[in-house]
Amino acid sequence: MTLAAEITLIVLAGVAVATCVKLLPAPRPLRRRKAVSAAPSRPQQLVTLERLVTTAGPSAVSAHAYLRPLLIQIVSHRLVARGQTLDRMAETTGREVLGDQLWDIVRPERPFPADRHGPGVQPQELGAMLEVIRRL
Amino acid sequence: MNGSLAPRTPGVLALAGAGLIAALATGRPELALIAVPFLVFAGAGLVLVREPQVTGAVELERVRVLEGEELTATVRVRNDGPEPVEVEVAPARTAQLAVVPAGTVAVRVGAQSEIEVAFSLRPRRWGAHGIGPVAIRARDALGMTNWEGRLGERVDLRAFPSEERLRELVAPLRTQPFLGTHVARARAEGIEFADIRPFQVGDRVRQVNWRATARRGSLQVNQRHPEHSSDVVLLLDTFEEARDEASGTLDSAVRTAASLARAHLGQRDRVGVVDFGGTLHWLEPAFGTTQLYRIVDALISSNIAFSYAWRNVDSLPQRVLPPGALILVITPLLDERSIALVSELRRRGCDLTVVEVSPLDHVPPGPTAADAVAYELWRLQREALRAHLQALGIAVAVWRPGGTLGPALEEVNAFRRSAQPALRA
Repeated sequence: MTLAAEITLIVLAGVAVATCVKLLPAPRPLRRRKAVSAAPSRPQQLVTLERLVTTAGPSAVSAHAYLRPLLIQIVSHRLVARGQTLDRMAETTGREVLGDQLWDIVRPERPFPADRHGPGVQPQELGAMLEVIRRL
Repeated sequence: MNGSLAPRTPGVLALAGAGLIAALATGRPELALIAVPFLVFAGAGLVLVREPQVTGAVELERVRVLEGEELTATVRVRNDGPEPVEVEVAPARTAQLAVVPAGTVAVRVGAQSEIEVAFSLRPRRWGAHGIGPVAIRARDALGMTNWEGRLGERVDLRAFPSEERLRELVAPLRTQPFLGTHVARARAEGIEFADIRPFQVGDRVRQVNWRATARRGSLQVNQRHPEHSSDVVLLLDTFEEARDEASGTLDSAVRTAASLARAHLGQRDRVGVVDFGGTLHWLEPAFGTTQLYRIVDALISSNIAFSYAWRNVDSLPQRVLPPGALILVITPLLDERSIALVSELRRRGCDLTVVEVSPLDHVPPGPTAADAVAYELWRLQREALRAHLQALGIAVAVWRPGGTLGPALEEVNAFRRSAQPALRA
């Protein structure tokens, strides 16, 4: 090997070593307390209602036992503002004011569903009922 | 401080070792020559290693600020050793505290000298923020060993909630026999005219209404309503909150409570606070500026404490709710226990007003169509609940974050004026 080749090799080795030194790991960041923000929290009231809307779809019992009292509470408050009450409302007036779907759910003498495993109130139907309530 | 090898040390040793092995394998001394400086460097670094004598402290420009206000924190770093030290300083972070610069700050501290590193702090939310101890890392001159530790003691920065200036307050139905600004129902010395009655022995001449006397033919005197103070109890519901990434109902509730406390104390009312939630704290009603600071200090310690324990009026000591006090309940109306408490207080004849901190802005509807229906149902349910409370004679002010409290309180006063005969019953 000639002298020139040896010098070149040594220079290349030096460059390689310098590159290796550059590539050495940087010091890890200082350990300190993490910035933890409070987790978003959804109110239990809303979570319960989300569950209720889901379960009232396939279950007639859930719709009757849990969704109906809530709808009665909301409708009653709206009707009071109009000077009406659900208890004293005639069926024809009820159907006219609340619509057939909503009236069938909130009417005072509604019996317990004969078919416990029958369908309840689908979210789309419930959405339509809420639209009626909003317009009251 | 804890010492450890710097990340570069094993690398330098590995390079030196590789050079020596390559020299042996190839029989070329030039490669060994390349390795020698690394060996010398690593050896000198490891032999001369000495723990740096770094001490220091954390100081705050002031320890009480309003939320959103900026202040400067100074970290003093002192090097008592005989050699200069490179130090990295990193203050503790929290999500509610903005620190500028946010990362670490590297400085070189000369032998037997001290330097100051300044950080700008801005509390994003009210509360007690712990500043310090700061994390530091010191390196010796050759950088072969790192020393990590903590510098200074914890200093508490108390960020007070920002307050809204209220021009109108809820007028109490009953007043206390202390000088104040509310026109009392009783008749005594005062400014506001109440009625005319015949003169009695002991009445002062200045009270005589000469026009009425001339008209009726006998001495008539004016009666007036005195200006009295009232007792106000701020009842903060901390059972549950609705929260998004940025803020929650408790944040707004505490700001509202602080605004109301300042305004009522400014009107010479006695003001007390009850933190009604998973944990129960209270401050008995008192007058003055000292009470304002006590209240604000108590408010910024409020937090949501989850609990199954049932609490009602009987959980509160009697002296916290003085007879005739105006009770302002600041609540998101999310927990059965706080709703039951409101109804129970009204049933007991308390003068009650509910300031509802609306959770709707903090909770978006869920992703599905069914969730959107549930959200609408929730909104209507809350409306019905509000109507139920109003039917009980409780004025409800709805306050939405970003809005002002003044118009809501005006609505409350209008409701209370229309329902006054029933409320006094």
